[in-house]
Amino acid sequence: MTRPRVAAALFLLLAVGCKKPVKPGDPLPGLTAEQLARFNRGKEVFDSVFTPHTGLGPLFNSTACGECHEDPVAGGTGDEVEVHATAFKGGMCDPLVQEGGPVIQLHTTPALKAALGIDREPFPPSANARASRTTPVVFARGLLDLVPDSAILAYADSEDRNHDGVHGRPNRSLDGRIGRFGRKAFVPTLAEFNAGAFVAEMGITNPAQPTEENIGGKPIPPGVDSTADPEIRQEELDLTDDFVRFLADPTPTKLTRDGRRGRDLFSKIGCTSCHFPTLRSGASPIAALNRREFFAYTDLLLHDMGPDLEDICLGLAGPADFRTEPLLGLRDIQHFLHDGRAATLDQAIELHGGEGAGARDRFKALPTADRAAVVAFLKSL
Amino acid sequence: MLRKTRIAALCAILLTPLAISGPAGNRTQSAAQPAPSYTYRGTVHAVNASTGTLDLITGVGMSLRLVHLSAGPAVHTSAPTAGLRMADVKPGDIVTVECHRTSAGLVVDRIEKLEAPAR
Repeated sequence: MTRPRVAAALFLLLAVGCKKPVKPGDPLPGLTAEQLARFNRGKEVFDSVFTPHTGLGPLFNSTACGECHEDPVAGGTGDEVEVHATAFKGGMCDPLVQEGGPVIQLHTTPALKAALGIDREPFPPSANARASRTTPVVFARGLLDLVPDSAILAYADSEDRNHDGVHGRPNRSLDGRIGRFGRKAFVPTLAEFNAGAFVAEMGITNPAQPTEENIGGKPIPPGVDSTADPEIRQEELDLTDDFVRFLADPTPTKLTRDGRRGRDLFSKIGCTSCHFPTLRSGASPIAALNRREFFAYTDLLLHDMGPDLEDICLGLAGPADFRTEPLLGLRDIQHFLHDGRAATLDQAIELHGGEGAGARDRFKALPTADRAAVVAFLKSL
Repeated sequence: MLRKTRIAALCAILLTPLAISGPAGNRTQSAAQPAPSYTYRGTVHAVNASTGTLDLITGVGMSLRLVHLSAGPAVHTSAPTAGLRMADVKPGDIVTVECHRTSAGLVVDRIEKLEAPAR
């Protein structure tokens, strides 16, 4: 880790040490009364349960945002695991839109089941990769949304010019913008991610995406989805967006002596080459989000994580490429990595391959007590 | 007399716009108005230069949609204002497409290829 990064992290540690700790699910400190009111109203939409009568489906993964993002609070993690699929052929990624898109919904409304006799979206016949995806926490997403493109590009080292074996590169959206959100950093903005999630996860059309997904490439049978599109108004979308945008980055818990040693080791063995401790948001008219240094432990870049973790492609991300996961809310997570295959943080680190192999090997070479110290540090996040 | 003349002039000024606009159904202007145009930006999924069709992937977040477009005459001939021809684009290209809606669907007026993003 470079000296400026160490200095920034230490400065931030001192700063947060002097303030009241922010718990998972809390709003950003410093919101105005009006912003706090929108946060609270947005949480109501986030937790509201949709039914077929209010627009749910006909394909869906969940009936509410808060059904998945629920542990330990709204905006947290959950035990649902969803399925994604794409085709990667000749170096090109096909998100299989003509067969229903990359998110495979695992439930159908009774009306769709009655019409087609299916209780989940058919798996796309052209897919050559399948992925499982756990529910990520969505804390600090408003801050991540504001990290300037220039900062992300400055962290990129696609040619590995510093010869550390790590060559992060940004993903791009369908229209060429730099991606930040999703396990493959395919989505450039938080607003788009939220609007897309309403449709892809719950089948709730909205002004940003006013049409339903097709059913395996075929139109929705007549009479199956009688709710008029868009199924929520812009105001409900904006409120949900504000709830997620204003969710704070939880303050790391107070570290023991072991935890402090683990934090130093985390840097020393090279984890911070990708899991940058701090990022800085750009300019925002919202004072609580404006130019804030925050703990993120990500560079928002794609890294090749090796063949054992390969699954789908998305945009410029190949099967083995994953965005460095922001390490936020780890204290409450029970299953780790993008698909939850790791039951412990030790396992999660040991499953890092590709560009993460160097740090993994150095972690594995540590004495048992030092490995436990690294894990103690991670559990403070 | 002067007062009557002024009132007549004022009425003429105020009523002229109403007189020349008329009901919408009688307007011949509407036929000459261009169809509403749309702009899409996304990744080319498929292109068939011989049939003059293009499938573009657009989307919001993880909710993606396929937009089917046909090439208009300008794009077939690659007129100076039309940017690229259909044959100049290939799957994976990021493009901006200007088009208009007809009874047969969306018809492309102009295609512009965006610079391939550096990795």
